[in-house]
Formats: sequence, structure tokens, C-alpha cells
Amino acid sequence: MSIGTRKRPDRAVARRAADVGKRVEYVAFGLAGEAYAVPIARITEILKPLPITPVPRAPRVVIGVMTVRGRLVTVVDLRRRLRLREAPMDSRSRILITDTGEERVGLLVDEVLQVHRLAEGEIEPAEVLGGDPQPYIAGIGRPEGALLVLLDLRPILDL
Amino acid sequence: MPDNSGGGRGDSSVEKAREDFLSEAQELVDGLSRDLLLVDQQTRRGESDPHIVNDIFRAVHTLKGLAGLFGAVRMAAVSHELEELLDDLRLGRIELGVKVVDLLFRGVELYGELLLAEKGHAPEPTQAVEEFLFSLGAVTHQGAPGAGGQVAQYEIDSSILGVLTEYEEHRLRTNMKADVALYRIRVQLALTTIDSALDDLKAAARPHGEIITYLPTGSGSDADRIELEILMASHAELETLRGAFRGLDVVVEAVKKRGGGGSRSSQVDATPAPSVPLAPAAAPAQPPQDELDEAVVTPWPSEVAALSPKPVHTPPPAERGSVSPALTVPPPFPGVVHPEAAPGAQNRDLSLRSVSQTVRVDIRKLDNLMNIVGELAMVRAALGRITERARGDARLRGFGSELHRLQRSFERHLTQMQNGILEVRMVPLGQVFEKLARVVRQISREHDKEVNLVITGAETEIDKLIVEELSDPLMHMIRNAIDHGIESREERSLVGKPAAGTVALNAFQKGNHVLIEVEDDGMGMSPEVLTETAIKRGILKREEAEELTTREIFNLVFVPGFTTRETATDFSGRGVGMDVVKTNIAKLGGVVDITSEVGIGTKITITLPITLAIISVLGVEVHGRSFAIPLASVEEAIVLDEALVRSYDGREALTQRGMTLPICRLARLFELEAPPLSDVGARRPSKPCVVIASVGNRRLGLVVDRLIGQQDIVIKALGPSLRSVRGFAGATELGDQRVGLVIDVAALMDEVMASEKERIGVVEGARAR
Repeated sequence: MSIGTRKRPDRAVARRAADVGKRVEYVAFGLAGEAYAVPIARITEILKPLPITPVPRAPRVVIGVMTVRGRLVTVVDLRRRLRLREAPMDSRSRILITDTGEERVGLLVDEVLQVHRLAEGEIEPAEVLGGDPQPYIAGIGRPEGALLVLLDLRPILDL
Repeated sequence: MPDNSGGGRGDSSVEKAREDFLSEAQELVDGLSRDLLLVDQQTRRGESDPHIVNDIFRAVHTLKGLAGLFGAVRMAAVSHELEELLDDLRLGRIELGVKVVDLLFRGVELYGELLLAEKGHAPEPTQAVEEFLFSLGAVTHQGAPGAGGQVAQYEIDSSILGVLTEYEEHRLRTNMKADVALYRIRVQLALTTIDSALDDLKAAARPHGEIITYLPTGSGSDADRIELEILMASHAELETLRGAFRGLDVVVEAVKKRGGGGSRSSQVDATPAPSVPLAPAAAPAQPPQDELDEAVVTPWPSEVAALSPKPVHTPPPAERGSVSPALTVPPPFPGVVHPEAAPGAQNRDLSLRSVSQTVRVDIRKLDNLMNIVGELAMVRAALGRITERARGDARLRGFGSELHRLQRSFERHLTQMQNGILEVRMVPLGQVFEKLARVVRQISREHDKEVNLVITGAETEIDKLIVEELSDPLMHMIRNAIDHGIESREERSLVGKPAAGTVALNAFQKGNHVLIEVEDDGMGMSPEVLTETAIKRGILKREEAEELTTREIFNLVFVPGFTTRETATDFSGRGVGMDVVKTNIAKLGGVVDITSEVGIGTKITITLPITLAIISVLGVEVHGRSFAIPLASVEEAIVLDEALVRSYDGREALTQRGMTLPICRLARLFELEAPPLSDVGARRPSKPCVVIASVGNRRLGLVVDRLIGQQDIVIKALGPSLRSVRGFAGATELGDQRVGLVIDVAALMDEVMASEKERIGVVEGARAR
């Protein structure tokens, strides 16, 4: 991933891709019964939970740290981050690894669903939810009648 | 671990720094000549690439800086003038032609000779340098009358040009542009009356012009007298000036223009480049003009390229040694190596050898190696476990002991490798100190204070990464010391101190730490004034102030905003940015301490770890969680005897060998939940231990459940999202995929002390950071 794409907001990534007639791939995952998705280009790998070492005094959304092939990864509980009801990890839990350039962050999700290829016409602006949407909601994906909350990772990782 | 016990390495380290300088210079010169070859090829094709000229300019600029640092006066002077020429080229003031390129090549050649001389392989090419500066001056003069480069026209000693500050240089140049005459004034002054005598001199000079610089000549002076050379620009006639300085016992003489008078003049105006060597024996025998033109047609670039990637200019060291200062063997015409003209193939081979025997390595490559060693250390641990299993199994006994031998050998070599890499990372602190010497000169001039910088322990070695991060904080501290510590001359003489203040920069090793002290003999800080100011600023309440120890009072200068809010007080500064200094040092795992005495001075001590890469840690367990405590900060570990613990206002301490040791229960500090009972039952019960940690002269007992053991680890920094978390220096893999957090002992100590202050409501800002 080049620096250029990392800095561009996900919303813009989606728009630009649609402009040139391409579809953007999103990986969808479940959180408290709802489906969310992020551009798959932002995710470097998906792992089953490894032993995580809690860090005392860390922000509440941080579960702890773990190492993946010698590199330190900070693990964030996405449920806590999005202020959703908490739930224990189970066998379907997954950690999506993303690299911000300065840090590798793991996002704990309930389960990974599938990959969707979305065209611009299948993405509605976040405002359709009404009012003042959270800054981390990049839009609403509507693949074949389903509903995906598309997340912008940058504000999410801004702890 | 490297042998850290030895303190004084003395001359060998100075030698090492010189070697570093020589190798870096050699590298730059090699790069220069490569770039020049490119320029030359382009010039011949009628093209030009401004980037290459810029590269060359930068390289020369760096060389000038290096030469200045190591007192290579001639090299500094040559670089200075080359820089002028290149600047003119860069700005298009003169055209990049064959003659200029030749001059540049001659410059590279001269660098080679100068480097050899610096190494002691050859005599200083004094005359060649003079000659070269002269030719340079001619070219820059010819190309751009009135623009840069005039400095070379004057017969100013290269040792002076080399040490002018930027401002002085600017003034010199400006005066030259305005065609103001230059005068050199020599004066001998008694050290006891130097201040008043200088003032008299300045007063006498003021009506007639501008003093550009004064520098001690280092000659003609005895112990209590000093000779100064003053460079002055003036419109006045020589006689007028002599009259002005009458009675001051000075020698005034006009600085001659190189081209303006004397025996050298006639050639300059006639031909841009001197076409006839001034003395028959003088070196770079420039070929006559027509030969120059001939050289243009010679298709030599391809030849040179075929011969070697580097141009061949430097005569071989072996031959060099026997040659007198005035070269008898003219070197091959710069850049042009005619097979028949070259002084033999052997010569060429020899001169290809560069002076340097060192390799410069990107520190990230070393980090990478260090990481691999770290991984190997984990393999070693796993191997150790298997070996133990095999040795414990009766059927595998022979196999086990063989494995054990191999394992021992592996361990030994791994340790050697680790030490080797660590050693490569270590550089002497002198690298930073040299830079600071220039800063001192500059700042003391800005403030019109006389300051001597006394450096000890420049040979003390520390991790390269730490050195890089040190220059800013140290510069800040030194600026503070001169700015706010050292009094003005008048104040100093009033209290009977010598007019020149002293700033001492001391470095030494103490165990696995390096201590750096910045000490001044200035006015010191008064605890009363500090507390009053803190109260005025609302940082401190009067009744709280009474409870503070002297040390806590001095530490007030580290509170953010303590002085930045309003700097114009009697003792202003001192704390300006000191919070930043403290933060930067803390990032390196160090601590800062201040002691001060009114009227005597202030001493700030920085305690730093020797290296950041691999550290030895003591693994401990608290409520089922693993933590690592850097062994460098661990004094010893004792079993906790609860009966000895006394508590005061919620703080606990125990008496150990007659001394009070504050203790801190990690489980409570980190608010760790007790592990489930079943877990505890599974483990054999153990008595809690106290790990006695010390940083600087502070001590703190950390209460843990269990000691796991000693281990060498590669420390990994926590990510930015955990930046706000205090108390941890990083994390490390402890094997079996578990991560252990490495405790930042210095931060914990600060915190335990800060929490005491918080209890009495003193420091709010510090924790918010």
C-alpha cells in the first residue's frame, strides 16, 4: 500500500474507483448482529485470536498487544470502539490487521462474513441514516438488497 | 555485554573520531570526483544538470564543516573557496566551462593530498593550497565582478577564513562588495585587562569603520598575554587608522589584494587562469592555454571510465611520503589520463587505494541484524529446553550431552555476535560535544558574554541512536546555561568571579548508564525565588511550598508552563523548554536532575542507558501477568517481609540496610485483578519479592509475586495509540508467543513521586503530558 492511498479517505477511494468504472472490494464482518465493511485493501491479514497481553492503563478500547511474526500489534475491540454491547470472544472471532504506517493495529470483530465488490451506485452517503452521522461511517453499501455500514478506518484508529 | 567497566579510553577514542572524520571526508571526496566526471561528460556534450552541481556544492559544504570541526584549517579554506565557486556556478554567475571543471578536479586532487597529509602520510601541501586558492580567486573574480568569491582576492590567512561565523563572513563580503579596504590589526593584550583594553580598541575603531572579527593568533603570546588578530573594514587610509589607534600598541597593516599589488598582480588581469607556474617547483603545473584546448578534444572520459570508476588524481601515499612540500613530480593533468602521460600503471593502481578503511552503515541495517539476533536468542531458549529434556531422559543421555555441548557453543557465539553488533552501534559522545562547542561560541557572542567550554569524557561511548537525539536537549541546556546562568561581565566582576564564565560538559560511564553533566559557574537558582514564582503563577500554594524538598523545588523548572507563561522575570528562562528537554530525555529512557547553589552555579545531570537495542531484563510475574524490568536499573531482589513495611499517608516504605526504601506494589499501581483462585492453586505458592530498582541516585522497591529470571530481549516500542500509557518502555516477546511489557523504571519513579505531589496538589500539568 502506498502512502498516497493510505492518506486518502476511504470515501474518496470509493468515489475515485467508481469514476474509472471499477468496483471496490470490501470485506464485510459482523458486529453485534449488524454487518459492517472496510475496503479490503486496508486489511493486510485476518487472524484467529492469538494470546493477547493486556496493557494496564491503556485506553478502554484497546484489549492489549500481541506479536505477529515478530511485530507488535495493538488490538482494538471494535465493539467497544463503536460503543456496541460487549461480548466475549468465541471460535468465530477474528482479528483484522491493518497498517497505519506508524503502527499495526488489529481490529477484533465477531466474525468475518464475505467480500463484496461495490460500484459507486451501490454506495449511499452516510447521511441517509439521518442527522449527524459519526465521522467513521463512510457510507452505506447496498449489495443486492443487503445493508453494510462502510467504515472509515482513520477516525476509528484515532484513539 | 560489551566491556563497560573501563572508563577512560583517552587518546584512542580521539583517534577514532579522527578516523571517522577522515573516512567520511574520503567518502565525500570519492563521491565528488564521481560527480565531477559526470559534469565533465555533460559539459563536453554541451549539457548541464543543476542537480549534480548542487550535489557537489553540498558535498563541499559538508567537507568544510567537517574540516572546521577537526581543525583541518587548509581543508576548510579550500572548501570555503570551492563553495564560493560552486555557489557562483549554481546561481549562474559564471559559466560551467572546461577551465572551471579543471579547477574543480584540481580541488578534488588537493583534497586527496590534504587527506594524506592529515593522516600523516605526506607533508601539508601548503604551497599547492595557496596556488589553488589563487587560481580560484582569479576565476570567480573574472566570472562575476562584484559578486561572491572576492574573499580569495585578499591575502587573508586561510585559518581566519575557516573560522568566521556566518555573520562575520556576510559582513566581510558586504564590505568587499562596497569596495571598502581591509585592514589587519595585531594587538597583544594582557589577560588581566583584556576587557577594558578591548573596549578601548573598539571605541577607537568605531568612527573609522567596522570590526569584522577578532581571533586569538595563538602565537607571540605568553601565559598572561594574548595576541589578537583583528580584521577591520574601513574607508580610512592606513595612516589615518594608525593615528586612530596611536597609544594602543597595535600593528595596523592593509590587507593586500592578491591581484591588486605585489609580484603576483600582472598575470591575473591578463589571463583569467594563471598560465605560468609561479615558482618552478610549485606543483599543479597547469599546461599552457593551447594544451588546455587540446585536452578538450581528447576523448578521455570513456578512457577514464574504462580505467576505473573513480578518477585518478591522488598520487600514491608511498611516493607522497618522500616528496618535498613543493612537488617535484607534477601530477597528471587533472582528470586527463593519457596512457602515455600517466606515470606508469603501478602508480595508478596504488592511487586507487583510498585512505579510509571503514564502512558506513545505515543504522536500520544494524537494527535489523539486532532483531535477527533477538530471534536467535529465542531459538536458543527453545533449544535449551529441548537439551534439558534430552539430558533428563536416560535413553537419550549421549545425545543429550552432545546437544548440550553444541548449545553451549551456540550460546557463546551468539553472545559474541550480539556484542559485536552493539559495539558497532556505539559512538563517542564527542560527536555531539564538538557541535556544541560551536554553539557555545555563537551564543556567547550573541549575548556578549565570554564563555569557556570545558569538555571532559568526550570519549565516553553510547548508542548511536541516543547520540542523535541528544544534541537538541543538550543545546537547549547549554543555551540556558549561557543565557540565564552565566552573569554579565560587570556582574561577574562585582562578585569577584573571573570575567569569562565556564560551562563544563562532563560525560562518564557509571555501570550500564552514561551520565552527562552540564555545569555552569553562573548565578545559580534560588529555591526561594523558584517557589515564589511558582506561587505567583498559581502552580503552587504557599502552604504546599513549605513541604517541598529542595530537589522537588528545582524540579519545578520541568513543569510545563512554569516559565514559558511569562519569561521576563529576574531569573527567566532556566525553565524555558526544560519540560521539553525532560520529555526528550525520558523518551531515551533517561532522567534529568538539577542541583544549584546561588552564586556558585547550576548543574544538570542526565542519566542515560548505554544502548537501546538489546537489553537484559529481569522477568517478573504479577497476578499471573509477565513484566520485564530492565536489569540495568535493578540493584537486587529481596523477599518481602510484610512486617517491615511501614505506611505513611497511603504510601509504603520499608527499612532496608538502615535506609528507607519507598515501595510500590505493581498489582495495585497497575490495578491488576487477582487471577482466579484455580490458577493460584495450580502454581506453587511463593512469597512476594521486592525488586530494588535504582536510576541515578533514586531508589524504589517494586513488589511482585514471583521472579521468573534474567533474559536478553529486543525491545519493541508500543504504538502511537498507546502513547498516553505511562510506565512502560515497550514490549517484548517472551517466547511461546507471549508478550511481556517492559517497565519504564524512571517513569514509575517520577510517577510515585508525582503522586505524592499530587496528594498535596502541586503538579497538575506534568501528568497531563
